[in-house]
Amino acid sequence: MPDGSFAHPQQRQFNPYSDNGGTILAIAGADFTVIAGDTRQSEGYSIQTRYAPKVFRLTDRAVLAVNGFAADGNMFVKKVKQRLEWYRHAHAKDMPLRAIARLIQTMLYAQRFFPYYVYNILGGIEEDGTGAVYSFDPVGSYEREACRAAGAAQSLVQPFLDNQIYFKNQKAAPGTTHPAHLPLSDVLSIVIDSFTSATERHIEVGDGLEIYVVVAQGRSPQGLDAFRGAQELSTQPNGDRMFIIRRELKKD
Amino acid sequence: MDHFPTNWGRPRNDAFDPYGTYPIHQRPAVKDNFAEGVQHTQQPIVTGTSVLAIQYKDGIMMAADNLASYGSLARFKDVRRLHAVGTSTVIGASGDMSDFQAIQSILDDLVIDEFTHGDGHDLGPAEVHEYLSRVMYARRSKMNPLWNSLLVGGFRDGKRFLSYVDLLGTTYSAPSIATGYGAYIAIPLLRAAVDGKQDQLTEEAAKSILHECMRVLFYRDARSLDKYQLAIVSEAGVQISDQIQLDTTWNFAEGIRGYGAQTQ
Amino acid sequence: MNSFLTRYSSTTPEADIRKAKELYGEDEDFSEVMWGSTGGFGNLASGVPMFKLPSVQDPSSFLRMHTDDHADPSCRIKIKHGTTTLAFRFQGGVIVAVDSRATAGSYVASGTVKKVIEINPYLLGTMAGGAADCQYWETYLGIQCRLHELRNRERISVAAASKYLSNLVYSYKGMGLSMGTMICGWDKTGPAIFYVDSDGTRLKGDLFSVGSGSTFAYGVLDQGYRWDLTDEEAQELGRRSIYAAGHRDAFSGNTVNLYHVKQDGWKFIGNYDVSELHYNGPGDVPGATGGGYGYDIRVAGRTSTNAPEGEAGEGQA
Repeated sequence: MPDGSFAHPQQRQFNPYSDNGGTILAIAGADFTVIAGDTRQSEGYSIQTRYAPKVFRLTDRAVLAVNGFAADGNMFVKKVKQRLEWYRHAHAKDMPLRAIARLIQTMLYAQRFFPYYVYNILGGIEEDGTGAVYSFDPVGSYEREACRAAGAAQSLVQPFLDNQIYFKNQKAAPGTTHPAHLPLSDVLSIVIDSFTSATERHIEVGDGLEIYVVVAQGRSPQGLDAFRGAQELSTQPNGDRMFIIRRELKKD
Repeated sequence: MDHFPTNWGRPRNDAFDPYGTYPIHQRPAVKDNFAEGVQHTQQPIVTGTSVLAIQYKDGIMMAADNLASYGSLARFKDVRRLHAVGTSTVIGASGDMSDFQAIQSILDDLVIDEFTHGDGHDLGPAEVHEYLSRVMYARRSKMNPLWNSLLVGGFRDGKRFLSYVDLLGTTYSAPSIATGYGAYIAIPLLRAAVDGKQDQLTEEAAKSILHECMRVLFYRDARSLDKYQLAIVSEAGVQISDQIQLDTTWNFAEGIRGYGAQTQ
Repeated sequence: MNSFLTRYSSTTPEADIRKAKELYGEDEDFSEVMWGSTGGFGNLASGVPMFKLPSVQDPSSFLRMHTDDHADPSCRIKIKHGTTTLAFRFQGGVIVAVDSRATAGSYVASGTVKKVIEINPYLLGTMAGGAADCQYWETYLGIQCRLHELRNRERISVAAASKYLSNLVYSYKGMGLSMGTMICGWDKTGPAIFYVDSDGTRLKGDLFSVGSGSTFAYGVLDQGYRWDLTDEEAQELGRRSIYAAGHRDAFSGNTVNLYHVKQDGWKFIGNYDVSELHYNGPGDVPGATGGGYGYDIRVAGRTSTNAPEGEAGEGQA
């Protein structure tokens, strides 16, 4: 004690958490889903690395983005992948998306009293061929949505998505209605704009952008094959198609 | 009734519970009084300062000074904070030196175990880093961390490897990494000299940039020493140098108001 | 001899596993049912779920320190919270109405939360407090209710289901669970509502509202409640009550979800935007009296600041 008294003994406790910044985002279309994240990892005001992936491919039609405390996030992804592999061995097929979502809930909730400091967004193609996004809180409450941003710049990006995807506070031109789903090219523009803008206004966002696109089996990738920097990751010739697009973001 | 949901079910302040109405059922059972007496490291005691590491053309290079401090006391001036693991990996540690020694012994056991299996496999830098990150994360999850920031570097099968892991289990890799004060003082210099140029950087150039950074750190980091070791991992394996002396000049201090002869 | 060897050997697979457990093993994190031929059935298949506790003196204060506390915005782990829910019993069954806002601190984390949890076709649970706690334990309750059906060849009563839940959360009392829920359904005794919360309280009643907006909802609900409400009147009362809470309570809002439980199970009635209710009302639905619910809309042309044609308002002199 500075005053020499020990009237209030204090125990400094080890803090097992940290915040590594960054932002993730996912948008579901009618028959595709886009899942994206920046690649900066920071602690406090220091950039630890400019390339630390936050978005991970789980199956041919499921992608998981994790954000928050990087050590928890990486460990969580590792464990989800392990459980999915066990499932593959037991059932000789990939776990469907909605089942992965429930699995993630139970895995997060198992740590209810020592939570993973991780915000998860799961994206992919549902068994009925529709695009889907599931978002989770750190202890496992989840919800299927059309779009979701999480992480450091969620409060910057989510209102933009509300406006552009849900058409919140927009009025359709007379005699028209808002489309229920946007085409892939529009969604990609919105994703890239979200991240360039978040990079401008949030210090923990930047460096690089990784965008995963999953397109349902038999559906057109809408010119994605020719998209600048798009790389195909699909494993099956006639299954769902998966692409990754890498972009640079500002590094200051 | 409190209608604010964020207050509900919140663990109540059980410091004062005069009627003992506050049941906590699932406290972990105390198993062993002796084991309970074991102190967990809750703060580092004898510590090492920054470790620097960079990738270069032929592999990686790592540098750490030879000081172990006891608070502000420069207690041990010839500790080795760089440690070879197997034949293609080196680790460097800042933070608690006793925890680092524990890590060294764990890794040495691991390398011996791998060797005794005699199956022709041994551990490369990626494996050592994965293993270390699991150990570090498991210990943080037990609220009993190994109080270190570690760099793992190596060269194997024609590939460089350089990664970081700390007491929280946080990991990352980059062309240039530094722990401790190095992350603030040396990283800007290293990034300017290395990042994006790691395939061109020669051994001589890499050595000289690290030497320069160690000197800058010695000038500014009050817990550092002017004696350091340099580890080089390349095709040729792990080489950890003898102690290297930094030459410094302090005559500029004369001109600093309040430091040299001039006191007013 | 063999066991003696395995015990002290340092190179057998057993020794490897032993060492691994010592260094980075997490105690019984995975049970055997999770892999092999039964793999992938989730944690729940193995019976009572296990939870990892932080190895500190007081796990609950650890949790309080790191999870959100509205008094301490520096807590990083924001757990989603739900807010206004109501349910009441009347001659035509049970009306369940909730809002759809989830907040993390002062940030509106979501405006589309499903706060009515469909436990099975005859049971509904509501969500207030920790979203994950409600979702997880009411799903778990659904599993137990199904097992009860299989074992006893009849549906579980609402009383039994709610008691199962309240006993369960009571066993975690003081650990930081946060839920205020109403278990609503129809069983042999007719419509029933039980209020269950994470303190272990379990109350049977005709009318409940839970959450930060509950006081506003109660105001409308109490004023309009009768046992002999028609179905349409009851649905309208539920909608108006949640609207009132959404309007006056900052932590509630976005949309109203309305359910009606009858003898043949629950039915989803509709989803209504709170702003839309304010200005234009629920539209052409049974029970709607027409026009917006908003005070300023209802009394337009009849207040001092917005005086009827030809009359000067007091303030305008």
